[in-house]
Amino acid sequence: MKTIKFTVNEKGYEVEIDENMRLLDVLRDKLGLIGTKEGCGEGECGACTIIMDGETVNSCLVMGFQANGSNITTIEGLEKNGELHPVQKAYIETGAVQCGFCIPGMVLSTKALLDKNPNPNDVEIREGISGNLCRCTGYNKMLEATKIAKKYMEGEE
Amino acid sequence: MSVEKVFNPKSKIEVLYTLNEYKGDAKLIAGGTDIVISLRNKIIQPKVLIDISHLEELKEIKENAGVFEIGGAVTFTQIVDSDLFKGNLYGLNKSAREVGSPQIRNKGTLGGNIANGSSAADIVPPLIALDASIVLESKKGQREIKLVDYYEDPVRVGDDELISKIYFYKPKENQVLSFSKLGLRKALAISRLTISALLELDDEDEIKTLRLASGALARFPMREKEVEDFFLGKKLCEENIEKAILVFQESLDRRLDGRSTLPYKRIAVERMLREALEEGKNFSHRVVKA
Repeated sequence: MKTIKFTVNEKGYEVEIDENMRLLDVLRDKLGLIGTKEGCGEGECGACTIIMDGETVNSCLVMGFQANGSNITTIEGLEKNGELHPVQKAYIETGAVQCGFCIPGMVLSTKALLDKNPNPNDVEIREGISGNLCRCTGYNKMLEATKIAKKYMEGEE
Repeated sequence: MSVEKVFNPKSKIEVLYTLNEYKGDAKLIAGGTDIVISLRNKIIQPKVLIDISHLEELKEIKENAGVFEIGGAVTFTQIVDSDLFKGNLYGLNKSAREVGSPQIRNKGTLGGNIANGSSAADIVPPLIALDASIVLESKKGQREIKLVDYYEDPVRVGDDELISKIYFYKPKENQVLSFSKLGLRKALAISRLTISALLELDDEDEIKTLRLASGALARFPMREKEVEDFFLGKKLCEENIEKAILVFQESLDRRLDGRSTLPYKRIAVERMLREALEEGKNFSHRVVKA
């Protein structure tokens, strides 16, 4: 077993993990943060996307012990004081959610995109969510939601 | 998986000592984008994993006295974001940009792309066109090999060695590095074929320098010397591009003889070679001569 210390959703954790655990397993099985989904387990689908030290990563391709010392945001960390994040609000309003399985990863990719590039064009939005597969929507609703979220986030500043 | 021990070293020296201690039982892990899949499918079964993804000394991109150095743990996102590869060396930026997806680019590293040894590694043909070398370090010291030799010889990274950096000499301002990729879709595509060219033209479009490298056209990425030799001293015009395509196809006929992918690749190289050369030419007209 290996002890790791890290921050998840602004809360410090010190947990003992099996050396073979992936970060995805640590988040779901050790911390109970089951908003992060496992889809393909090979980095193709993006359902397990989280934000690690400011960048999106597939948590199925990161070993748990590699998260030692890192700062992680999962979908559970977006809501603040009972308020949904602008990206979450925009997704709901647009109806960009159908079955929902890809949504935690999709929302985090959208957030990371807008954090890095507050005013993306359509190509950049599609590129930003290109690592997240959705088999329901056809992506147009996500594109629309991202544009709405962009306006909400501009308004916040 | 059956990993028994994991390490988060704080320095390169610590990595080298740990590697030396466990040798064949240990594997380095950086971005994890290939190795975690291999671990789970039991393609490799190391007892020890050593994380190098957080080591700042392996994550630097530097230009110093005419030499570019890229640390082994530099990610594709770092290369995409770097201002160094937005001018005449844009081929490096473009090849990094077309790797996988944002998530893969945020984690995947240059050293890992090389160590993994895939013939379809996107970033490798541009580095071969730049005649890059890799620096391997172990507790015992360091050695360098040309990237192209790393693939052509059975020289592999020793089990006590770390790819600490990749370096190449800065090309002249009028030398342009181009890149073209054929994938089956826009994102998350494994390359079917990549071509990268380091190209220098004179005022009459005569080729002064051409280093051409391909990916996924053989067991490993390689220089396309026959096409280079054909072009040397010739004008980069439509007629010669067509002749060069024939030279390229004949070379492929010998190399891929009997492979089921040959008919496809013969046709695909037409477009990819043309794209890499014309893109390089357009860039040099637009920027270098401006």
